[in-house]
This record gives sequence, structure tokens and C-alpha cells, in this order.
Amino acid sequence: MPGLFHQTTLANGLTILGETNSANASASIGFFVKTGARDETPTESGVSHFLEHMLFKGTPTRSAIDINLQLGNLGAQANAFTSEENTVYYAAVIPENFREMQELLSDMMRPLLDPQEFDMEKKVILEEIALYQDRPHFYLFENASMDFFGAHPAGNSVLGSHASVSGLTRDGMKAYFDCRYSPSNIVLAATGNFSWERFVEDAQRFCGGWMDFPVTRDTPRYAGKSQGRTFSRKNLSHAHAVLFTLGPSAQDEERYPLSVLSTILGDSSGSRLYWALIDKGLADSASVDSDERDGTGCWSAYVSAAPDRLDKAVSIAREVLAEPLDFSGADLERAKSKIVARIVLDGELPMGRLMSLGMEWSYRRRSTPLQEVVERVLSITHRDIEQALTRFPLSGWAEYRLVPE
Amino acid sequence: MIHTKQLPMGLSVIVEEMEHVESVAYDLLMPGGLICDPQDMVGSSLIFAELIGRGAGTLDSRGLSEAFDDAGIRHGEWAGTDRIGCSGSLLATKLPRALELVSMMVLQPRLPEEEIENIRSVLLQDLAALNDNPARRAMVELNRRFYPAPFNRSSLGEAQGLLATGRARMEQLHAQVAKPSQAILSIAGRVKAADVFAEVERLFGGWGGVSAELPSFGAISPHEYSHIEVDSAQVQIVMAAPSVKFAEPDYYAGKLAVSLLGSSMFGRLFMELREKRGLCYSVYARHGSNTSYGTVTAYVGTTPERAQESLDLLLGEFARLQGSVSEAELARAKTNLKAALVMGEESPGSRAASNATDWWLLRRVRSLQEVNEAIGAVTLEDVNGFIERHPFSPCTILTLGRAPLDVSASIIRGGR
Repeated sequence: MPGLFHQTTLANGLTILGETNSANASASIGFFVKTGARDETPTESGVSHFLEHMLFKGTPTRSAIDINLQLGNLGAQANAFTSEENTVYYAAVIPENFREMQELLSDMMRPLLDPQEFDMEKKVILEEIALYQDRPHFYLFENASMDFFGAHPAGNSVLGSHASVSGLTRDGMKAYFDCRYSPSNIVLAATGNFSWERFVEDAQRFCGGWMDFPVTRDTPRYAGKSQGRTFSRKNLSHAHAVLFTLGPSAQDEERYPLSVLSTILGDSSGSRLYWALIDKGLADSASVDSDERDGTGCWSAYVSAAPDRLDKAVSIAREVLAEPLDFSGADLERAKSKIVARIVLDGELPMGRLMSLGMEWSYRRRSTPLQEVVERVLSITHRDIEQALTRFPLSGWAEYRLVPE
Repeated sequence: MIHTKQLPMGLSVIVEEMEHVESVAYDLLMPGGLICDPQDMVGSSLIFAELIGRGAGTLDSRGLSEAFDDAGIRHGEWAGTDRIGCSGSLLATKLPRALELVSMMVLQPRLPEEEIENIRSVLLQDLAALNDNPARRAMVELNRRFYPAPFNRSSLGEAQGLLATGRARMEQLHAQVAKPSQAILSIAGRVKAADVFAEVERLFGGWGGVSAELPSFGAISPHEYSHIEVDSAQVQIVMAAPSVKFAEPDYYAGKLAVSLLGSSMFGRLFMELREKRGLCYSVYARHGSNTSYGTVTAYVGTTPERAQESLDLLLGEFARLQGSVSEAELARAKTNLKAALVMGEESPGSRAASNATDWWLLRRVRSLQEVNEAIGAVTLEDVNGFIERHPFSPCTILTLGRAPLDVSASIIRGGR
């Protein structure tokens, strides 16, 4: 049962999106701010993510504890995340609590940035950095990504380093907020069981007074060349490798056929890498993904295996990626069936729809109904894939490894 | 609307009709799993659960995998502590195909010998990778010390047991575990119960035999403290204490008490350790339960110089709970539990799983209203009574990091 799509823009530039569906038992709401690690200078590294935490730490009218307790009282499933390009605040609630949730989340978007809370939360961020240091897979992806993109901001670290976060100041964060959290750089979206008219009316009341200012982001396509490198660590039991090469951006039309191709090559089950590596017990994990970013993008191929098998696993993965594509079998139709089922299943819950709605608008300033996405995927032919590959070939891989010292 | 039917050979079929979705989810549960593995073959159930997906009936390994993919079925066959399961989610129109494939895997798996080595190899790599995941490793090591054997086995199996497993054990598992007398098939989504019952009877009608008997659960005797030395950035601190089982009178009082203590953002642990002191990123307490036991577990991960303070505070909050819970805290915990229930109503996957769990533990499915009323009826007195009877002490504590911590003071405080 598809929901009804709505869209409007407030005078201050805040985009409002909605997909109403009275059959849902809940409603989801979120603010999608188009800012992240790529919008930071080297000395600001980590500030987007730290700021995301600070939005839960108080506003002119609410303390951090007030916010936590109110989220608890609303029975809200609320959280936030920061990536290289987006900072997203979201919550799912039962319909009766939607309006109060909207008011709370809107208030949080104008944070106090209290200096004492800032110092306290800095400790939490440093703990989060330590936590990820103990996760080898994360360590490899972050360091490989930084090296691959070189001076291009797409490779910036989301968490920042211990040194960069330690050096952040409250006033520096405030200056960053004042440059990035303009209503015209934010999308407010809701999905599920709620009233669109009241949602817009309340958005005007809660967010209409936010001052607009211009926000820019340079989105050059990364065209550099990287060689790759090997990282090592003591006491590592398992080995990892990731290969990067240029891929489609979030705006390139090639992303549709190439997402079908990455399913054929590197889905977690039944893909060509699965049969070549996992089915044979040579690796315990293998995947291919197309990581689409704002104005640029990359392919990634990942393998993890026992250290003494990594060489063999990587060389087999490279062979699979280099094989000429043969669509004589049913691979193409099978991959499309898998993708369509996922799109429909993920779109069934308000939270799933919220994420696709908000993200699509942030990147492409439009919304595509679920049915249209499904038809688009089903229409893809092997010629579309071959055509897309002439622009984004599966070659020129930069290889990164993390192995025991 | 929920419908149930027990087929003559014992299989219980539960169907929840959901009109507002396009999809359907299924869970087939069979008693068995890691606690039923012989002492020298711990982990053979994990190999079995993988192996039934590597060819069944007329389909070889690739044919079976492609049949699932062609129908867009997300599926998994798995072995847990006390059960082996087949789960999946898909567009509702493909349910007959999914049930057919599941029936083939359970009734006529090919169990190809040549695949055992490949599966073993992946599982041994998973086991080795545990060393690189300190938080997960700490929980595995905590369970090993806290539960009586064989309930203390790792969900990843044991290297020796995986190595000792051969084809004969696979045949034995098929003969002993893939049986219907106590099995449950739970389905939720855009389906008609009558159609599902007819399809299940047609596909599973020839299935017969007595389900595996689960070993009985010995007494938990928490021991005090152990430390595992690893060179990591953070120290992992975990603890476990005995609590109430599902369906015992104190169950919701216990669940609410632990929720107001350790639930994400509004719980006391989050407030005291993270919000007020910035000691950690991740801290929580959870209440878990199955047929045999109920357990409270708690976790905090922090850097070495702040580990002692974190441990002291964690246990201190448990000790402080008795008599200190306010009406507002209890109300908040109730609201959250109820809201989570309502939101779970939207998802076929969570409905199928929840109905299956009810049947597994109670042999009936409770309505949302019944659960809501049970939660609503819990009073402060109930919560205090629960804590009196289950004081979170003695408990088992484990740390994983560069150096051991001092637990003497905390245990005395925690055990008053």
C-alpha cells in the first residue's frame, strides 16, 4: 500500500517532505542536514560528528537530561548518525506522540552548545574513537578511504583523530554550525501515520524563524590515481583487504545498472564472489559495493580471510572482477529480483521510507515513488550495464590490506 | 488476526494475517542446537544448519541458492543455543515457493560430504576473527563462565568440535533434530491462514518423528571475577546475574527494572556513566530470558585509566536500585516497552519471531492487549519485590583489556 507523497518549502528555504500512510502503526520523522566530514577543514576534523552529539546536550529551553527524559516519555526510538556527507537526526513514535516529537526534534536543531557539556561530551567522543580503534575492519576502511581519495574531501575521517578532536573548541563548533545548519541546507521529512497539513503548520511554527544563509559545497569528481598500501597491526587474528576504483556518483544515472552489477558480482549470497570464495571456504566474507557520493564515487571490493589465505583470496577476487561479463545465464534477472524484493521490504516500514526519502532529496532534489524505482530496476538490460561500464570500468584497482605484524 | 493449527505429527503452525503489508516472513524452529551437540563435536549443529542449504531434493547447492534468489527470498538457516531454525522474508506472492524450498531442506537435505570442509573452513575463520572483536569476545567468555554446561557454549562453536565433525554426524543430526513433534512454523504477513495451512499440510504432511530432547538446565552459580589480558585501546567490562524466566510472575517487573537502569538514552547507567561523567560511549544493561533461565547482563567499554571508576559505578547503580525507583521512571520504562510493541506490530519479521517465541515458551500466542496489560499492571512494589528476590548479586564479572581491575569493593557493595 504505497503512501501519498507531499512536498513544500518554507520561506526560509527549509524543504519539507512527507509520505503519509494511515495504515501504519507509527510515524517517523527526521532532519537531514547536508553536512559531514567532507565539509570540514583539517583542523575541524571530527566536528560534524561531535556536533551531532551536542544536539542531544541541550537547547536554550531544555537541558541534556530534559531531552533524554522526554525521548523516554515519548517512547521514541530516536537516534542520529553522521557520515562523510550527511548528518541525520531521526525518531519513530506512535502517532499520538508525533507532534511532541516534532517539537522536541526541532528544538534540538538549535542547540545551546554549553561549554561544560562540550567538555564532557568530548570525553565520550574520544571513547568512541578508542572503540573503533579496536575494530580492524573499520580501521582499514577509514585509512584506505583517506589514502584513496588523497586531498579530495570524500576521504575525510568522520570521527576525526584523537588529536583533532582534542583540539576542537566550543567556539569553533559554533562557527561551523553557523556556516552549515542553514534551513536551506536541511530537509525535514516524515513518513507513516501523521497529518501532512498539521506537520507543515507545525514546521512553520517550530522552524519558520530559523535564519537562512547560503551554504556551499564543492563537489569535484575525484579523478586521481592511488597505488594502495598495506597496513599492519600486532595481535591480529584475521586479515582484510579492500580494493577501490572510481565509481558512479549519487547523481550519475549509471548508478542503477551498476547496482545490479554489484549484486551479481558481490552480494552476500549467490554472487560470483560468493561462489568463488565463500562457498569454497577460502574467505569468510566477500562483497562488492558501489559507494555513491556527492559528485563522485567509488567501487569497493572487500575480502576477509585467515592471514595465510588472504593472497589467494584477493587474487581470486581480482580474477572474478576482471572476467569478461557474460549475461547468457539468469544472473541479470536474478539480481533484479533480489533488488526489487529488498526495495519493497525496506520500504514497508516508515523508518525505511524516511531514509530513502530524505537521502534522495538531499542528493537529487527529487522523490521517486517506490513503484517507479522498482520499474526502473526491472527495465535494466545487459546493454545498460555494458554502457555504464565504459564510463566506470572495473579496473585500475588500488589495493589496501590489513595484516598481522 | 492470529490463527494456529497443530498438524497430526506435532508441527505447530501459527499464521498472523497482516493486511497493510506486501511481504511475509517465516520462522521454522526445531529443538536442538549447540546444547545438544556431543561434548567432542561442539559446533556440529552450525555445520548442519549451513549444510542443509547446500542442496536438497532435486536441487544441488547452486540450484537451491538460485531458487531462493530467483524468488527474491532473503533467507537464513541457523543454529542457536537450543534450536535450529530456518528464517526468511519475501514478497507474499512467493510464499508457496519459499515453503517448498524450506520443506526440501528439512525433509530431504542432500548433506553433500564435499561441502563440509568448505563450511568448516569458514566457521573456523569466524572463530579466529572473534579475537579481533573484543566486545563480542568478552560476552562469549562471560557466558562460558556464567552458565552451567552445556548452556555456556559459544555461539561460534569450538575449533576441536568443528574439526571432529563429519558426514555421519550430519546424518545423525538430520535423524534426531530435523523432526516435527515439537517444531514450530510461524508465518506473518499478507497471507490467508487457510491457504497457508493447506500449503503446509501438502508440503510437510509426510514429515514425522520425535523432536530432540533438550538437556535440563543446571543451577547457575555465579563466580566472582576473571580477567583476560589483551592489548586493546578499550577495556571491556561485562557482568551477568541470574534473573526471572519468561512467563514467571516477576518477568515484567524484572524487565522494567533492568530497562530503567540500562535502556539506551534515559536509563540510569547512560545518565550516570556517559552523560554526567563522559566515561564511555557504550553502556547498557539488558534482561534476557528463554525456556531455561533469565539473565541480566551489563556492558561498558572504556579506556584503561577510567575502567575502575566505570566498573565501580556500574555495580554501584545495580546496588542502588532497590527502593530508589520513582513512579516517573517506572512509567517511562513502561511507555518504552509498550511503544516498542506497537512498532513491532508493523513488521512481519518481528511478528513472526514474536509469535514463534510465545509458542516456544508458552505453547500459546499472547495478544498485544494481554502483553500491554501485563506491563501496565506492574507496580513499584512489584519492582522492589523483584529486586529483593533477584539482587543482581552474586554476579559474574569479566574484564578484557590490558590489566585486571579491583572488584573486591564493588562486589561487597553489589551484594548487600
